[in-house]
Amino acid sequence: MLDFIISKYNYWIYIILMMIGFYAMIGKKNLVKKIIGINIFQTAIILFFISTAAKRGGTLPIIEHGHGHGAHAIEAASYVNPLPHVLMLTAIVVMVSTLGVALAIVIAIYRRYNTLEEDEILEKRKWSRNLLF
Amino acid sequence: MRVLALLTVILTGIILLYGTQDMPNWGDPNSPASMHVSPRYLERTLEETATPNAVTSVLADYRGYDTLGETTVIFTAGVSCILILRARRRQKKENA
Amino acid sequence: MVPQSPVLVVVIPLIFAFLALLFGWWRKGLCYPITLVAVSISFLASLCTLHTVITTGTIHYHLGNWAPPWGIEYVVDHLNAFVLAIVSFISVVVAISSKRSVEQELPDKIVYFYCMFLLQVTGLLGIVATGDMFNLYVFLEIASLAGYALIAIGEEGAPFASFNYLIFGTIGACFYLLGVGYLYVITGSLNMADLSQALPNLYHSKVVLVAFAFFLVGVSLKMALFPLHVWLPDAYTYAPSAVSSLLAPLMTKVGAYVMIRLMFTVFKPYFSIELIPVTAILGWIAAGAILFGALMALAQIDLKRMLTYILVSEVGYIALGVGLANRAGLTGAILHILNDAFMMLALFLVVGAIMYRSGKREIPQLRYLHRKMPFTMATFVIAALSVIGIPPTCGFFSKWYLILGAIDASRWVFVAVLLVSSLLNVILFFRVIENAYLEPDEEHAGGGSELAIATEEAPLTMLMPILIAGAGIMLFGVLSGKIISTIIQFAVPQCF
Repeated sequence: MLDFIISKYNYWIYIILMMIGFYAMIGKKNLVKKIIGINIFQTAIILFFISTAAKRGGTLPIIEHGHGHGAHAIEAASYVNPLPHVLMLTAIVVMVSTLGVALAIVIAIYRRYNTLEEDEILEKRKWSRNLLF
Repeated sequence: MRVLALLTVILTGIILLYGTQDMPNWGDPNSPASMHVSPRYLERTLEETATPNAVTSVLADYRGYDTLGETTVIFTAGVSCILILRARRRQKKENA
Repeated sequence: MVPQSPVLVVVIPLIFAFLALLFGWWRKGLCYPITLVAVSISFLASLCTLHTVITTGTIHYHLGNWAPPWGIEYVVDHLNAFVLAIVSFISVVVAISSKRSVEQELPDKIVYFYCMFLLQVTGLLGIVATGDMFNLYVFLEIASLAGYALIAIGEEGAPFASFNYLIFGTIGACFYLLGVGYLYVITGSLNMADLSQALPNLYHSKVVLVAFAFFLVGVSLKMALFPLHVWLPDAYTYAPSAVSSLLAPLMTKVGAYVMIRLMFTVFKPYFSIELIPVTAILGWIAAGAILFGALMALAQIDLKRMLTYILVSEVGYIALGVGLANRAGLTGAILHILNDAFMMLALFLVVGAIMYRSGKREIPQLRYLHRKMPFTMATFVIAALSVIGIPPTCGFFSKWYLILGAIDASRWVFVAVLLVSSLLNVILFFRVIENAYLEPDEEHAGGGSELAIATEEAPLTMLMPILIAGAGIMLFGVLSGKIISTIIQFAVPQCF
C-alpha cells in the first residue's frame, strides 16, 4: 500500500487537488467561489496530463543542433514526450475562455440581483415568481 | 446539501485513485504513452517539418486542426462576452 | 467539392461566422442572409457526404494529409453522416425562422447573435464528424461556450440558468477530458480507430474501467440523462425562442451520438454489454428518465417548460434503445434521433411563434388559438400525435422498434414503461389541445375570438419552418422503412 502511494505520488497529488476544486464547484454557495473551483479542477487535470509526459533523465523536446545537418540519430527516449504538452496548451486556452464566459455571466447576474450568493438569488427569484401568479 | 457534495467528491476521488493502480510509474521511459505515437514526432520532426521544436511542430503541423479549434474557442469566448455584457441602451436611459 | 465535403460541412459555418461579424458591423441587415447561405452550403455538403457514404462506404479524411494516429482524421460512416445531415438541416430550418423572433427579443444584439449561432452550429457539426478523441473535446467546448452565451441573453432568469448549465457542462467536459487522459496514459493514442484496436488487450485493466465510467458520466451530463438533467428545464425555458429551437433538438441528440460512438466503436460491444453490465444499468436509468419526464411535465403550467420535460423523457427513449443492446433496440434508438429532432423542432418552433405573436405561453391562456393561428396549432397537433406514437407519424415507428427490442430482450418492464409513457403523453397533450381547440358552450358562435391572446397567424418566415417541420414528421414516418434499410441498418454495429 505504501509502495503504491510512493511510486505514483504524482497522481495522488493531482487527484486530491482535483477533488478540492470539484468540492468548491458543487459545495460552495458563492458564485465566484464556484468559478474558482472550476479553475482549480481544470488546472489539476492539466497538471495530471503533463505529469504523464515526463521521462527520467529526459530533456526538453527541442532537437539540439537543429539546423546543422547533425548526422547523429535522434533518440526518442532522451526527450520528454511532446504530445501531452500540445494537448494541454489547447486545454489551458479552453480553461481561460470558460473562465471569461463564466465571469461575464456572473456580472450579468450581479447587475440584475445585486448579490452573488446562490441562496439569496433563489429567494429573490421565488419572490418575483410568486408575484406573477 | 454539503454532505451530499462531500460524499460525491470523496466517491469520485476514490474511483480516480482506484484507477491509478495500473498506470505506469512517474517518469517511466517505457510507458505506452511514450512508445506508441510520440517517438515519430521526435524522430521525424526535422525532416518533415523543418522545426527543431517538437511541441511547435505537433501543435502547428501534425495537429494543426486542433489549434484552429482552439482559436475558435477564444473567438467564441470574446463574442460571448460582448453578447452577454452589452447593456441595452433603452435600459440605461430608463435607469438614468 | 465532393472529396472535401466532410470537412466543408464543419469549416463553412466557421468561416461565415467571422464574415457575419465583419459584414454585420458594416451593415446590420446582411447578417441574416449570410447565416442562411452558410448553413445552406453546409447542408448541401452534408447531403453530398451522406450520398458518398451510402454509395461507397466509410469516408476516411486525413486532415493536413498526415496519416492517423499521428494526424487528425475525420471518419464518416453511416451513423455519422446520418446525424450530420439531421444537424445541418435543422440548423437551416431554425435559421430561416429566427429572423422575426431575434428582431423582437434581441434588437441590439443581432450581429453578435448570428455570429454565435454559426459558431454553435460549427461546434455541433465538428463533434459529429470527427474521429479523434481530443478534437471532439475541442469542438465540444466550442458548442458548450456558444450555448452558455446564447442561453444567457434570454429573458428574466436566464443568466442564472445559464450559470447553472455552465457548472454542469464544465463538469461533463472535464470528466470527458479525464477519460481521454486515462486512455492516453494506458495506450498512448488519441485516435478512435486506433483505440478500438489497442483496447481489447487491456480490458482487464482498472484504468480502462475508470476511463469508461468517466466517459459515461460526462456524456450523460451533456445529454441530460436523468438524474443529471437538472440544468435542462431552466436553461431551455428562459432562453430566447430561436436559441431553444436550435438547442433543444440538437444538443442532446449529439450527446446521444457521442455515447453510442464511445460505447460501441471505441469500446467494443463485448465490453459494454457482457464484461461490465452497463447496458442493463442504462436501461433502468432510461426507464426512470422516461417516467420522470412525463410525470414532471404533467405538473407544469408553462408550455415551454412542459416541452423541456418532454425532452428529458425523449432522451430516455434513446438511452433505453442503447440499453436494450439488440438490433431492434439500437435501430429504434438511432431512428429516434431523427424523429425526436423533428418533433422537438416542431414543438419549440410553435411555442416560438406563439411567443412572437402574444408574449405569453401558459397553457390556460391558449384558448381559441385555433381560430387565429390555425396552421401553427395544426402542426402542434401533428407533433403531439408523433410524441404519443400514432401512425403514420414518425414517432410511432421508433417506439415500435423500441418495443420490439424490449420484447426481443424479454424485458417486459420496459414494454410496460413504454406503453405507460404513451398514455401519460396523451394526457399531457390533451390538456393543451383541449385549451386550444375546444370551446365552452356559452361562448359559442364566434363570441370568443377576441379573447385569444394572438391576433393573427405567425409571419411567413416563421410559418414556413413550422410547416416544413410538420411535413417532415409525416414524411419520415412514411419513409421509415426506406431510411432503415438504406442507412440505419448499416449504422448499427455489425455484431448485433
